[in-house]
Amino acid sequence: MNNTAASPMSAASSSGRSTGKSVSFTAELQSMMFSLGDARRPLHETAVLVEDVVHTQLINLLQQAAEVSQLRGARVISAEDLLFLMRKDKKKLRRLLKYMFFRDYKSKIVKGIDEDDLLEDKLSGSNNVNKRQKIAQDFLNSIDQTGELLAMFEDDEIDEVKQERMERAERQTRVMDSAQYAEFCESRHLSFSKKGSKFRDWLDCGSMEIKPNVIAMEILAYLAYETVAQLVDLALLVRQDMVTKAGDPFSHAISATFIQYHNSAESTAACGVEAHSDAIQPSHIREAIRRYGHKIGPLSPFTSAYRRNGMAFLAC
Amino acid sequence: MEETYLELYLDQCSAQDALTPSRSPLLSPAVPYDVDMLTSSNPETAFNPQLEEVTEASGSFSAVDLSFLPDELSQENKDQTVIRSKHEVEENCKTQSRQIRLPLPSQLDAGLALNSSSGSGSHSHLHPADGNSAQPSPEKPHSMPLASITPMTPMAPISECSGIVPQLQNIVSTVNLACKLDLKKIALHAKNAEYNPKRFAAVIMRIREPRTTALIFSSGKMVCTGAKSEEQSRLAARKYARVVQKLGFPARFLDFTIQNMVASCDVRFPISLEGLVLTHQQFSSYEPELFPGLIYRMVKPRIVLLIFVSGKVVLTGAKKRSDIYEAFENIYPILKGFKKA
Repeated sequence: MNNTAASPMSAASSSGRSTGKSVSFTAELQSMMFSLGDARRPLHETAVLVEDVVHTQLINLLQQAAEVSQLRGARVISAEDLLFLMRKDKKKLRRLLKYMFFRDYKSKIVKGIDEDDLLEDKLSGSNNVNKRQKIAQDFLNSIDQTGELLAMFEDDEIDEVKQERMERAERQTRVMDSAQYAEFCESRHLSFSKKGSKFRDWLDCGSMEIKPNVIAMEILAYLAYETVAQLVDLALLVRQDMVTKAGDPFSHAISATFIQYHNSAESTAACGVEAHSDAIQPSHIREAIRRYGHKIGPLSPFTSAYRRNGMAFLAC
Repeated sequence: MEETYLELYLDQCSAQDALTPSRSPLLSPAVPYDVDMLTSSNPETAFNPQLEEVTEASGSFSAVDLSFLPDELSQENKDQTVIRSKHEVEENCKTQSRQIRLPLPSQLDAGLALNSSSGSGSHSHLHPADGNSAQPSPEKPHSMPLASITPMTPMAPISECSGIVPQLQNIVSTVNLACKLDLKKIALHAKNAEYNPKRFAAVIMRIREPRTTALIFSSGKMVCTGAKSEEQSRLAARKYARVVQKLGFPARFLDFTIQNMVASCDVRFPISLEGLVLTHQQFSSYEPELFPGLIYRMVKPRIVLLIFVSGKVVLTGAKKRSDIYEAFENIYPILKGFKKA
């Protein structure tokens, strides 16, 4: 369940897909982790570990998606297969749907601004408006037995995880000056979807029998980013727990965001020696994964089809 | 010249009732389909034989004679808005093709009275501008006859005005030429036209002045994009219509409507988008991995704003210029609150 179980997996995957490992996202991941709440200079070892985890999880996800795709006799992995894999976790599925709708909405707006874009879109022929939304709606319509999946489209609840991330970002940027803030914004713009071909190589899509199509690649890039975000969220929580506050009986009950703020204020007050403790350590990540996969319950050893990989999926 | 628009607009909001008859009524009725802004008149050009100027000014179509279009603008007037009546256009085309109506780019006056009159009735209001030549500078605001028709949202007092005027970047308009068109014939005979039926079922035509692109469909509908102001869009659409007409089709000019207006400006200070998205959650969406700007959906007026960290703001989704100005004046104090030190 922890990293030792994962490393034969990654060793196996690296030997089986050796070309995938020559592509490295470590530098981008360091920036991404900074934008998600890590220190200004995340540790290289942490980034390497995160890359390993994300890579393994995505490869496994792709394999499962390929199986689903084969089941329904399709020639490419498409958005439907990935949505099917995510059907169990409503919150994450909802977040993915919101992301897809936002993508549609954004292209609609940007198209209206530039006349060249408008022409391009007309010339491309197909009816592109709300493409992703249609796909998602049609598919969920077809698999929904109880009506709860379709209810998600009308659901307007606040996504707590997203809310927490927004608050953390706001808190992080509050103390920055405009130069630091500009740098922060630059790193927030990073994503896997911008580096399409590098991302495909990293996942070694070329050697797969059934390849993902364009929208599936978009979703995979999003899931990769979500995995990184989840890891950072959990690692920050773990780090907070590791700091024992003498005499404070409620230290475990205080939210992660509050303590983190408190921590960084303290550690920056101490001199630079403490600076490294600001960054997330690999041990935090490992502990986070261990805790995440550790399902508590009478049937936990027997549930979840994802178990066979030794690591629970963070993104779905 | 853009500043006068904002001034006039703001003045109009604070002085909604006065109908100042300071200028002689010259313009034909105002059923203002496209613009509801007053404009200052430009007396020097007011009485030029505008049509000749227009024909000279029209770039690649130097031979185009737009004399059948009575309410045409000369190049000098391109900054000024003109109130048009579509009835007037229709009727003039048919009945008074040679008679030069001078729908001078002067403002509306006592427009309410004129509104109710039909096209023919309005012509009686036209008389030579004796008073106009001695016009004072166009600072004086004029009452907006529409003020009593369209309810205006309460505006911030002028003292809090931002002093920044969004510049229009792109206008998308549509017009119905009201006749079936043979796209192949158009593509073969017109200059600057492309037609690839396998890719897209419309002729793409471009003109250089005003620099615009038009999509002309076989049903007779046309989309005109790329103009930088309402009257330029209308002028360009007219030119395209003229081209089609010259090719032998009985093109008309029906239902000219502005579909979308895009403007941009710069508030000149960095903005904390994280703070903005947190406090205005129900209106904003911000996904920096996807798009570097925050998308703010303003409800009143219904405008979408793209707000960037650098302070640049793009406004889109407007059908009227006043919506853009109103939206910007609404967002400016909010943005100031999230100024990044």
